[in-house]
Amino acid sequence: MTDEALAGSSLRHEDAFYYLMKRYEPVLLRYIHRMTQVSREESEDLLQDIFIKVFRNLNGFDTNLKFSSWVYRIAHNEIISQYRKKKRDRFTMEPDADDSDILTSFLTDTLNMESEYLDREKTTAVRTALEELSPKYRDILVLRYFEELSYEEISDILRKPPGSVATLLNRAKIKFKKIAGKYHLETI
Amino acid sequence: MNDISKETLNKIKEQGIVPRTKGYFLLRRSTVWALFCLSVILGSISASAVIFQVRNADWDLFQHFRHSILEFLLLFVPYFWGMFLVGFSIVAYFYFRRTQSGYRYRAVTAVALSVLLSIIGGVGIYATGLSGRMESVFEDTLPFYRGAAFHNRMVWMSPDKGLLAGKIIDVTKKGIIILKDLDGKEWHVAANHAAWRGRLSPSRDLEIKLIGIRTGENSFKANEVRPWHGRRKYGGKGRRHSRMFQSSGTEK
Repeated sequence: MTDEALAGSSLRHEDAFYYLMKRYEPVLLRYIHRMTQVSREESEDLLQDIFIKVFRNLNGFDTNLKFSSWVYRIAHNEIISQYRKKKRDRFTMEPDADDSDILTSFLTDTLNMESEYLDREKTTAVRTALEELSPKYRDILVLRYFEELSYEEISDILRKPPGSVATLLNRAKIKFKKIAGKYHLETI
Repeated sequence: MNDISKETLNKIKEQGIVPRTKGYFLLRRSTVWALFCLSVILGSISASAVIFQVRNADWDLFQHFRHSILEFLLLFVPYFWGMFLVGFSIVAYFYFRRTQSGYRYRAVTAVALSVLLSIIGGVGIYATGLSGRMESVFEDTLPFYRGAAFHNRMVWMSPDKGLLAGKIIDVTKKGIIILKDLDGKEWHVAANHAAWRGRLSPSRDLEIKLIGIRTGENSFKANEVRPWHGRRKYGGKGRRHSRMFQSSGTEK
């Protein structure tokens, strides 16, 4: 059953929404975790808010979009909204070791993945480098390299033209590379 | 690990949370489109006023302003309505971005589209003659309005540049026209050899524009006489008397 069909069923029987949530629970938790530095409990609260928003707005689903893009958009807006509420300077991140691999892979082709120590170093360095990025750059790097979404999907999530997504992504990469250089990420 | 999905479903049930109706979203989308259309309509009205002013400006007076292109542009470019046109186009773009698919278009494309729609609408409004009537209403009701009449006043009250406008209050036997300008000042105008445009002939209460040379403190030699109202040299449909003449105290 497709997400769209499940969403349709959720409008008739709210129990069906449980299965829709189950599909997105790990994906969105990971996304929240990548975008924010909040405790597990806070992540779960945020996820619950996102799911309730999705449920409340099911009738407003734009069928021109992929359902996942629409859900990501709601999640993105909710995260930004929380960010504004808390008036933080920026989100701080705690990426997984896997996450740091993904992002540093475009920095160098000569990564030494063998050493656990180096991996830990790299994870810390990537985390620190990402923390220094402004949310808009961090957001787009997360969507593109961690969530592995297409430009089209990112365009739908951020409500920006695909051309602007490409420009923003390039700028984010340049900024990240500059910051990464400060932490000697290329040599790790 | 908690089953967040289960917890969320329970919360939905306990709190009786229900999805918003389709009507709610339809209303929201319709409101955005309505505001977009309203902005385009207001932009079109502005565009029609720009077209009206451009079409009615005395562009052939450029030779009198050769010394200052900037002054010419400030007097002749309809920036008042131009600003409104740009403003409403930006507002239209703002709402267009909020439509379901508006964000997919580049800002330049969307703004250009808004301006284009406003101009097309403006041409339509101008073609119906509404812009002329609108100009008259604004002139009569809005004291701060700086429309075509304001620009005309600025242009034509420049006797040192050879431009003068006013109402004929008398014509002497020697053919000298006694003219009250827009500020109520009396002028003696020699117009015997002037070219009279728009099938005019000197008569009392006629509102005219003069091109010529200032010959004294209150004397002027006209080379060309144009009707105050109407397009460019030859006049056209328009009100016989304008508020500007009334304000100068020359209206009978």
